[in-house]
Amino acid sequence: MTSKKDLVGQEAPPAHLIVRGIDKSFGGLQALREADFEVARGEVMALVGDNGAGKSTLMKVLAGAYSADAGSFFLDGNSVSIKSPNDASDLGIQIVYQDLALCENLDVAANLSLGAEPVKAGWSFLPHFLRPIDNLEMESKANKAIKRLQVRTLHSVRAKVSGLSGGQRQAIAIARAVGTESSVVMLDEPTAALGVAQTYQVLQVVKRLRDTNHAVVYISHNMQDIFDVSDRITVLRHGQNVATYITSKTTPDEVVMAMTKGIDKNSSGSIQNAI
Amino acid sequence: MQSEKKITFLDRLRTMRETEFGAFLPVLFALAAIWGYFGFILPLHDLITGEAESFRAIFLSPRNIYNLFMQSAVIAALAVGITVVLLLGEIDLSAAATAGVCAALLGVLVLSGVPGFFACLIVIFVGIIMGAAQGLLVAYVGIPSFVVTLAGLLGYQGLMQKILPTGNLNVGDPFVRSIARLLIPDMWGLFLALVVFILFALTTVRKQLQRKEKGLELDNKLTVWFQIIVFGIILISAVLTLNAYRSLPLLLVLLIAFTALLDWITKSTPYGRSLFAVGGNSESARRVGMKIKRIRVSAFAIVGLMAAIGGIFGASRYGSVSYTAFAGGSLLLEAIGAAVIGGTSLFGGRGSVWNAILGALVIGSLGNGLDLSGASAADKLMVSGAILLLAVAIDALSRNSAGGR
Ligand SMILES: Nc1ncnc2c1ncn2[C@@H]1O[C@H](COP(=O)(O)OP(=O)(O)O)[C@@H](O)[C@H]1O
Ligand SMILES: [Mg+2]
Repeated sequence: MTSKKDLVGQEAPPAHLIVRGIDKSFGGLQALREADFEVARGEVMALVGDNGAGKSTLMKVLAGAYSADAGSFFLDGNSVSIKSPNDASDLGIQIVYQDLALCENLDVAANLSLGAEPVKAGWSFLPHFLRPIDNLEMESKANKAIKRLQVRTLHSVRAKVSGLSGGQRQAIAIARAVGTESSVVMLDEPTAALGVAQTYQVLQVVKRLRDTNHAVVYISHNMQDIFDVSDRITVLRHGQNVATYITSKTTPDEVVMAMTKGIDKNSSGSIQNAI
Repeated sequence: MQSEKKITFLDRLRTMRETEFGAFLPVLFALAAIWGYFGFILPLHDLITGEAESFRAIFLSPRNIYNLFMQSAVIAALAVGITVVLLLGEIDLSAAATAGVCAALLGVLVLSGVPGFFACLIVIFVGIIMGAAQGLLVAYVGIPSFVVTLAGLLGYQGLMQKILPTGNLNVGDPFVRSIARLLIPDMWGLFLALVVFILFALTTVRKQLQRKEKGLELDNKLTVWFQIIVFGIILISAVLTLNAYRSLPLLLVLLIAFTALLDWITKSTPYGRSLFAVGGNSESARRVGMKIKRIRVSAFAIVGLMAAIGGIFGASRYGSVSYTAFAGGSLLLEAIGAAVIGGTSLFGGRGSVWNAILGALVIGSLGNGLDLSGASAADKLMVSGAILLLAVAIDALSRNSAGGR
């Protein structure tokens, strides 16, 4: 899989995760039609499209939450199958859902280790779920995760999530996805409900993910955010690929046009691969 | 990054209740207020108005405190169990009826010659099954716990009447009786309290040192010492008071031991964390791979366990089992009230089994104090209702201010 097709111009690395020809229908409604998608390590791939274009569906297919009716998956060139959320997380693919699904009654550290709490050594006579949690280890891990993403406004990993701002919660949800040995992190409209300052904070975190060599998939409606943070933009329309643009070589107008009307086949040269 | 907001009283309340120790303070204050009223203000009032010749310190006498603790023990055992399902955001209305069935079964078993110890084990097993059966219906069939346990309440009440057709049975088994009768000798009781206190202080200090070593954020020094000292004072003075009348009864030691074990399980193990996670956001718990259904079943099994223990305690203390003392009386509402007054949220995800013990003491003290001051049963009911309402109001308010941003 190192044909020309997998390369993004000259500057981009080969894609890490590639999917081809994804079909997905819900009853009579075909949400995805022969959709192709790829993302490389160290890049932010934006996924845009009008409401109902199939963005969330594509992301859930990649995360194993939905299984595709047809299509093939490649990770670093090897064919893989993603049939369940466990398959996806075993492959290092993590999703940050639109509803963050944090436990507000627990603190940041507990949320970051939820379901995988470190336990103290030397209690092996007890079943795992009754061994004492190593709180200090858990906090150290949380501190590291927070530091890695440079969530500066968070003062303590022992703060309850109920007391955090929207941006901080988003950052925690991202940190949780990243914390578990992931190579692909997918974010579904992470800034939809946030104000300017909070959005800025989340975009910083997304950039940090790219800098730490993750493959980031970023769904958003906000052109300004997308042009701020992404390296490439994949446009979906009615469940089909319209085009993939290199962000630095296109304009918001062009992308919006592609989202709403599809593309004019003989337009500018910024399109990387039109259908 | 948070906008400057005025810190309201509710915000403070919420922040306080979020710390582990702070969650105790409201119920401790409530207890202190009730004790102060019945033990000090009321006798003083009677003395000044000439209703009494001398200062009647009956309420706070060691003898009354002893009885108060013993009276509250059955409520406390049930409240501790109910707290565990409340953490999940569920409710168990059948706990008192379960306790009744277990106590009745215990009575019948020892009467038919089963040794007391084995009878207790059998009854505990039965209690667990009774709880787990309801949990299965809640988790796997998807019936709301309110309905399942309401049906359980009715069914188990009937079952108890079947086991005890006369509605009453004396329990004379020496083993069963010894649970409430056996007293730890004064010196040993004090020694035990000291050991527990020293262990508590050492682990608290050690935790702080380990935090320093790992470069983690430290707890406020003042809070740590305050915590240790308050714990020590409460523990030692409780034992001294009990010693002043009789001694520390085995029943209380057992209650404290079970509660400590459940506290450890709920606060410090992955299983306990999953209880809080399911209660806080079950979708989140599901996504990280927690087995939500099994967790639900196990929580109801724990209520069954504690109900059985409550039943054994009751049978041991009264030396008899009666329908009205368990299934048919006010025990259930007192136990749920105790858990909620203790500060465990009805909305799930917040609470502690220790608080249930304190809540049970509040309920017990209220009943006891009103009894002593000659209040009618009607007064008792109304005051208990008001206190319960107050506790739930505090819960709802501190929850609203947390969600309303
Ligand atoms: N679970 C589902 N069941 C039925 N239809 C669905 C489901 N999820 C998505 N769809 C439909 O698939 C289409 C694509 O939805 P979605 O991927 O959520 O769009 P987007 O995220 O781009 O707004 C929509 O028409 C939507 O109604
Ligand atoms: Mg969507």
